[in-house]
Amino acid sequence: MKKWTATAGVLAMTAMLAACSGEEAANNAEAEGTGAGISGSLDFYTSQPDADAQALVDAFTEKNPDVEVSIFRSGTEEVVSKIQAEDQAGDIQADVLLVADSVTFENFKKEELLLSYKSPEADAIDQAYVDPDGTYTGTKVMATGLIVNTNEVKDLPDSWSVLTEKAAKGKAGMPSPLYSGAAAYNLGVVTKQDGMGWEFYEDMRANDITITQGNGAVLEGVAMGEQQYGMIVDYLAAQAKSDGSPVELVYPKEGVPVITEPVGILANTDNEEAAQAFVDFVLSEEGQELASDQGYTPIRQGVEAPEGLKSLDDIKVLEADSVELLQTRDDDKAKFGEIFGQ
Amino acid sequence: MMVKQQAIGERKKGMPSFSLFFQNKNFYKGIGLLAVFLLFLLPVLRLVWLSFVNKSGLTLHYYQQVLQEAATWVTVQNTLIIVLGSTLLALVLGVAFSWIVAYVEVSGKRAMQLFIFLPFIIPSYITTLAWTQFFSGSGPVAALLARLPGNLEVPNLYSIGGIVLLLGLSHYPLVYLFTVNVFRKIPRDLEEAAATSGLSKKQAFRKVVLPLALPGIASGGLIAFLSNLDNFGIPAFLGTPSNIRVLSTYIYEQVVGFGPEAFSRAAVLSVLLGVIALFGTLLQWFLLRRSRVTETARSDSEPRIFLKPAKRRVLEVSLWAFLLVTSVMPLMAMAALSLISAYGVPFTLENLSLKNYEHIFLIDAKPASALANSLKLALVTMAICLILGTMLAYLRFKYPDWSTKTAELFITIPYALPGTVFALCMIFMWIEPVPGWNPGIYGTVLILFIAYTTRFLVLQIRGSHTAFLQIDPSMEEAARIAGARGWTKWRRILLPLLFPGILGGALLVFLMALTELTVSSLLWSSGSETVGVVIFSYEQAGYSTYSTAFSTVLVLGILLGGALFMGLGKLWDRKVMKAK
Repeated sequence: MKKWTATAGVLAMTAMLAACSGEEAANNAEAEGTGAGISGSLDFYTSQPDADAQALVDAFTEKNPDVEVSIFRSGTEEVVSKIQAEDQAGDIQADVLLVADSVTFENFKKEELLLSYKSPEADAIDQAYVDPDGTYTGTKVMATGLIVNTNEVKDLPDSWSVLTEKAAKGKAGMPSPLYSGAAAYNLGVVTKQDGMGWEFYEDMRANDITITQGNGAVLEGVAMGEQQYGMIVDYLAAQAKSDGSPVELVYPKEGVPVITEPVGILANTDNEEAAQAFVDFVLSEEGQELASDQGYTPIRQGVEAPEGLKSLDDIKVLEADSVELLQTRDDDKAKFGEIFGQ
Repeated sequence: MMVKQQAIGERKKGMPSFSLFFQNKNFYKGIGLLAVFLLFLLPVLRLVWLSFVNKSGLTLHYYQQVLQEAATWVTVQNTLIIVLGSTLLALVLGVAFSWIVAYVEVSGKRAMQLFIFLPFIIPSYITTLAWTQFFSGSGPVAALLARLPGNLEVPNLYSIGGIVLLLGLSHYPLVYLFTVNVFRKIPRDLEEAAATSGLSKKQAFRKVVLPLALPGIASGGLIAFLSNLDNFGIPAFLGTPSNIRVLSTYIYEQVVGFGPEAFSRAAVLSVLLGVIALFGTLLQWFLLRRSRVTETARSDSEPRIFLKPAKRRVLEVSLWAFLLVTSVMPLMAMAALSLISAYGVPFTLENLSLKNYEHIFLIDAKPASALANSLKLALVTMAICLILGTMLAYLRFKYPDWSTKTAELFITIPYALPGTVFALCMIFMWIEPVPGWNPGIYGTVLILFIAYTTRFLVLQIRGSHTAFLQIDPSMEEAARIAGARGWTKWRRILLPLLFPGILGGALLVFLMALTELTVSSLLWSSGSETVGVVIFSYEQAGYSTYSTAFSTVLVLGILLGGALFMGLGKLWDRKVMKAK
């Protein structure tokens, strides 16, 4: 038996590749520069895509070269679990948190894990998206709209009701609120609207809608033509369209639920000064323009939305109170599980 | 037979201290058990503890609550059906393939082995994507069924059957890996003896070959069972659309459904999962209780069964057809997706581009550094497990008493838990191993080394243990009588006999660590992202084309490495064999 030969093969290959990694550490050491005042290290936990988070941190450290920022990036659910586990073990490592929705922050606020900080930059932001106690502030506007496969559907719908109509029977998808925090937020908001409510979800169930794990799977399903319609976060659809996928993004006339990817500071931060500077930067005009360049609708007034997306002023937002959403979230999810259960 | 077995048992117990390392037995036994307890069980106990406490103190409230819910029992039932079904499938396929590769004369065995491994190496989200397309309304299966008479419907993969199928296909390589060497070591003369005493080939297989191969089959079956139990990707992908939950996905739902009760409820469910894993391990012990190999043979890879040319053709064609569908097809699907510029554009020449590869190689620095990280992690983990695991397996083999059995059980638990849960345990444990002391391990790359070793050590132990079971204790005795002691005995006698089995385990640890995802995704920190983390990040950000490109590179790299050294192995064979 020559299994060892296969093993040894893998080994040799790895040895070569492993050799490249040593250089990086050396480069990092050189980055010490001159900066104004703020210094130290900062642990930044986020659910933004990797490249976006890195670009944000790079832009921040360019202005504050003495601050060393470590990023932990994962899905909102994983980030939240990690912080909860760290709390449970006695020491939260994160200083700054930026994840999907305000309900998540309300939850941390209730557990008194967040620091109150009123950023001067927050004045330029619609106060609906700023926590009155200053524990978190929205940083972007991410609407959930309809994605449509343009190869299969010629007349674009303008209403959510298309998902419950015969045309979409067995041909629509949405992310599961049990897996995706953003989808759980949407569930809470939509079921509290007059004219939609739980009936909307019940009808979608009756129409054999496909539940996927996340937004990415909705995009894949619709773009590949397995489904024709889907509920999806707007920037993914816009991005796919600009990449050439046969899809169109629709903002339904009833309005759209919106999450704001808020930013907040953890109460036991080791570096309050740097954390505050980071929050200021995210909300500043420069930080917001960066968000727009990355393909997201900025939340700050006066900063333009990227091509393919609507600005906050042009979106009809389905509103709901974050505190109330937090109170009902577990029940909402349980009820969703019942409706879509076996 | 019986008498001989007893005699061996006595000889083993009565033997003087076997190795230089393990003198002063009781002292080391105590230290060893304590270390195993601290490293393997304590992290899990920290989680289990949560299931028993609430704000006011000790309570059974969470157990009452969770155990009374109908959803829990539906989930447990689904889990049992799916895990047992997929393990059975993995066993049938794994044993069949390893027997054919070990016994039957077919050409291209080396290449065949590589393709047997593929379904295990390809990330499960890719496998599921490929299979769902294969079975979709516009896929090849539908097209084929439409041509056949009768109103045949395409089987629905989003079902319990679909989950069983994909889990079984993903994990049969584990059974194969553990079994193939064992088959090769079954002495020819035993089979010849069986034939002379009038047993038919089928009877000989049932009465001689199968019992002798049992250690490998049981080990591989156990690992496949545990892998099916803790797998998250496949049931999450296929079960979510049809609301089929298994324990691993249900636990995840609890963990991310935040709130003060989240971890406590997850802990209760983890205990349930642990109980199922425990039963699997006990069953495996029970099966092995009666098995004792009494002959030692070097592995013998010469075929023993020669088929007529026509039959052989049929067998070869059907083997390759199977491998084509289960290994090559998902790989092709993945590669095709990675070449396309955007989802949903037709697969024509002008829509093909290398821009995804350009991104992962030239534009984004993360994949390269992640690859370096993962390789380092995998190599070091493999080395640690190789040494530690083989030592532990040796102890387990030599002193199969309560202490080594308990140690083995403790070490199995981290592998059986879903990755997310295990990662949480690591956080609970390593921020403050003892109250008030933070060793600064959490948040550095060190935590990943610890986590990987803790999680994968059992694979090495099972691999090495199976190898030890193939050696007759008389070999050791002979070595001792001939004057070979300590290291010499190992180097000259034991290691050459054990080598293939031990390296099989090491290979498994290496591959597992290289592509690990769920544990890393909670434990990594800046600069220590792994291959799995980068792929997961791309997926979550909606850049599936990048993640498929990266996965393709990874799988092709592993294939290339394997093929390269298959070639070198041939060369080595020729030279060494000639020299002899």
